[in-house]
Amino acid sequence: MSSITAPSPAADPTGPLVPVARTRRRTELSMLIFAFALVAFAFANVGFSLKGSVPSGIVEYMAAYIVIALLAHLAMRRFAPWADPLLLPLAAMLNGLGIVMTYRLAAQGKLLSVKMSPSATMIQLLYSAIGVGCFVAVLALVREPRVLQRYTYTLGAAGLFLIALPALLPASISEVAGTGAKIQIRLGSFTIQPEEFAKLALAAAFAGYLVAKRDVLALAGRRVLGIDLPRARDLGPIVVIWATSLLLLVFESDIGTSAVFMGLFVATLYIATSRTSWLLLGFVMFVAGAFVASKLFAHVGQRFNIWLHPFAGQNPYNHAYQLVQGLYGMASGGLLGRGLGGGQPYITPLVQSDLVISAFGEELGLAGVMAILLLYGLIVQRGLRTAMLVKDPYSKLLAGGLSFMFALQVFVIVGGVTRLIPLTGITTPFLSQGGSSLVASWTLIALLARLSDAARRPPPRPIQEEGLTQVVTIK
Amino acid sequence: MNRALRRISIAILVMFLLLLINVNYLQGFAPASLAGRPGNSRAFYAAQNQYERGSIVTSDGVTIALSGLSDGNDVIKYQRRYPQGPEYAPVTGYDTLYSQTGIEAAENSLLSGSDSALTVRKFIDLITGKTTKGATVEVTINSKAQAAAYNALAQLGKPGAVVALNPKTGAILAMASYPSFDPSQLATHDGTLLNKVDKQLLADKAQPLLNRALEGAYPPGSTFKIVTSSALLTNSPSTTINTNVDSPTLLTLPQTQHVLHNDQGEVCGNGGGQAPLITAFAQSCDTTFAKIGMQLGAGALNDMAQKFGMNNANLTIPLTVARSNYVIPPSQALTAFSAIGQYSDTVTPLQEAMFAAAIANGGTLMKPYLVQQVTASDLSTVQTTAQSVLSQPVTSSVAGSVGQMMRAVVQDPNGTAFTFNAQAEGGLVIAGKTGTAETGQFSLNDAAFTCFAPYGNPDVAVGVIIQGGGYGASAAAPIAVQVIKAYLATLGNQ
Repeated sequence: MSSITAPSPAADPTGPLVPVARTRRRTELSMLIFAFALVAFAFANVGFSLKGSVPSGIVEYMAAYIVIALLAHLAMRRFAPWADPLLLPLAAMLNGLGIVMTYRLAAQGKLLSVKMSPSATMIQLLYSAIGVGCFVAVLALVREPRVLQRYTYTLGAAGLFLIALPALLPASISEVAGTGAKIQIRLGSFTIQPEEFAKLALAAAFAGYLVAKRDVLALAGRRVLGIDLPRARDLGPIVVIWATSLLLLVFESDIGTSAVFMGLFVATLYIATSRTSWLLLGFVMFVAGAFVASKLFAHVGQRFNIWLHPFAGQNPYNHAYQLVQGLYGMASGGLLGRGLGGGQPYITPLVQSDLVISAFGEELGLAGVMAILLLYGLIVQRGLRTAMLVKDPYSKLLAGGLSFMFALQVFVIVGGVTRLIPLTGITTPFLSQGGSSLVASWTLIALLARLSDAARRPPPRPIQEEGLTQVVTIK
Repeated sequence: MNRALRRISIAILVMFLLLLINVNYLQGFAPASLAGRPGNSRAFYAAQNQYERGSIVTSDGVTIALSGLSDGNDVIKYQRRYPQGPEYAPVTGYDTLYSQTGIEAAENSLLSGSDSALTVRKFIDLITGKTTKGATVEVTINSKAQAAAYNALAQLGKPGAVVALNPKTGAILAMASYPSFDPSQLATHDGTLLNKVDKQLLADKAQPLLNRALEGAYPPGSTFKIVTSSALLTNSPSTTINTNVDSPTLLTLPQTQHVLHNDQGEVCGNGGGQAPLITAFAQSCDTTFAKIGMQLGAGALNDMAQKFGMNNANLTIPLTVARSNYVIPPSQALTAFSAIGQYSDTVTPLQEAMFAAAIANGGTLMKPYLVQQVTASDLSTVQTTAQSVLSQPVTSSVAGSVGQMMRAVVQDPNGTAFTFNAQAEGGLVIAGKTGTAETGQFSLNDAAFTCFAPYGNPDVAVGVIIQGGGYGASAAAPIAVQVIKAYLATLGNQ
């Protein structure tokens, strides 16, 4: 197996005056070390605040975390040397903060509405290892983004199957206790949320289908009320996938994820066709759908009531208790927070999963939440930059779709917790306790890394003199 | 495709900007308003973890609320305790995870140590390395009078309340309500248990959480005749307590078929249709005062009631006191009822005590107050309540006349409360007025009694209301007398 190394200017003084391409793997390593330092500092902070010293366990947790992140870095050097240097440090940093918060909450785990055992930190580290394992596997197996395009229909079917699975299983296996949401598969004490992986499969399926059909979608068809409608046979399959996924989600009481799917679908369609009318139509359809759902389904209507009137009547004590306690927690954190281990995040129900950002708000304050939002923003920005740089239309669509979906997920959950929009229970990427979300997030980072590797890799250079038959090396 | 991607980027940028703006609002500007929202226990946790909350003590040094270190596993550092339990619940109120009442609420910033008046002391504590403690609140309550009031109510076992005032200063000497609750139950740090206890107390038909002394609304009945007499003696200077007034045995109310008669059809005075005012007052003749009320008119009664402290929704001691109502009646017949404390008249037990206090203090009504002073943990005084005049309902001569009539109620053999005359009470001369109000809610009437003692130089004024107690003289007056004796005994000791 051969690989391409960056030519040095000295070796090729007559070469064109283009900026020298660099792999930037050292930048990645130094940024990773910065993330390690920050996470170590956060761990120590929790230890001093809760126990007055650095408990021995923290050293082992920290060591395991560093080993896991360095493995990811080595995989990058090996399989995606040209990948964006910021993606891995950003993901590792968020993952590390999530482990610290799990440790912090587990230390007072008995006080939580859903109790946490002291082993939660170890389990979260194990999930991180599995997540990085998936990251390495994706980089090793998917050597070219376009490989995925071949499996468009397979991935679409797999995505639908994964979404439908919990709805088809009995509630005893699929229902999240106390929420009525049928979104998981429980095997003993171990649960999987298949929708986390379905999102990725459908993102790839949408991109694959639309890249093949984008011209007919954009051009062939009739114009109705100023909107270019594509032919039914072109749009049909995609609408079927989208509608089925939405129906299933309403059936499974998982509104947040259906919003993310809808956003993914509309954004990918828009990037593929450049038709603004699609954006408008998608937005109107979603708002109308949400309105109708709020009238038809009591649990959806209640979400709106909680959002609009959280402090009215008995709401702060029952239906809106979770939202309101999250808000109180963030408010008590103020600008600089109460310090890790100094607040009372355990008052807020489900603070370890859906409302984890409110725990960060309470203990790290406005400054901490803004920093976390910027970390998310940077991941999205790296993804969008990749989409701009990459030449291949399929890769463009996939990178754009994945970035938008990631941004929308952050928007839906952080906006929900901070009462910008109605609160719906979805995970906060990398920070929430739980395996499926973490593994899926690492897979998403792996896909973006693969795409950015393709985008940044310099074109093959001639290795022989001009005029002779060119021989290029291809991996 | 790049153009679409650029637009998508802008949409994402807007989404993140919205999140950032919203988080800035939530954590930068909203915390102050969110801190007081319902169910926000974070401030409680923070306060209880930061400083030891100050104690609440009575004027004679009995601790009625204090904080100490919590048991080992508690996440909250200090635990609030109420050693005197239900007896002082109307005074202390409670300090729970979610809310506060009573003195705990009214003086919260000083008790918790967050008040700006304590900033300098906290700073000194910080430098000298002492642990900061909240300020101690000393209330005006006399523990002997309070115990007498609560025990007498509990012994009777009927819902009611007692308030004792120092008529010269306005200091509240006793404030008891029955049935009551133990605030220690609500001081638990277990939210689930707290909700359970709270729900039980709220669902209790006996309403133990209601502080009847300040929030109860009961018809004053005949005790309102103090107001009617005061209005008569003020508006008609020629009238004295010995002036003969119309006292028919039966009084047909104008524009109605309703015939008003005295309790049990009693004859007023000698039965001649006229009786001296003092006799009608001592006997509590309804026909007499109904007629006086109609002559004076609702406007005059309303003015006088207001001067005695009624129709005031803004009285705080510093606990908020419910408004006692005199509603101007729409007809003469109803004015007649309002003059004898019926129709829509309602008073709090505190207002009941204020009637007697104003007369006892020569017609000057002092503003009632519950907090004597607040001292910081270094024993320096942070604030002291200054006595102030609330109003001057009557002149000292009118007060003297009404006082004489109230004396006759207890001391005159025809008086409704003659049982408690000076001879029976070991030489203690009590002046008072009974009230027995029909409510239609209970099989028995509400019993009321307002009084002051000793007659010559009053040290204490007491108001008692017993729901469904029956006659004022038999249900309410004995409790008032016990409180008076308990309090006067402490003065003798000093």
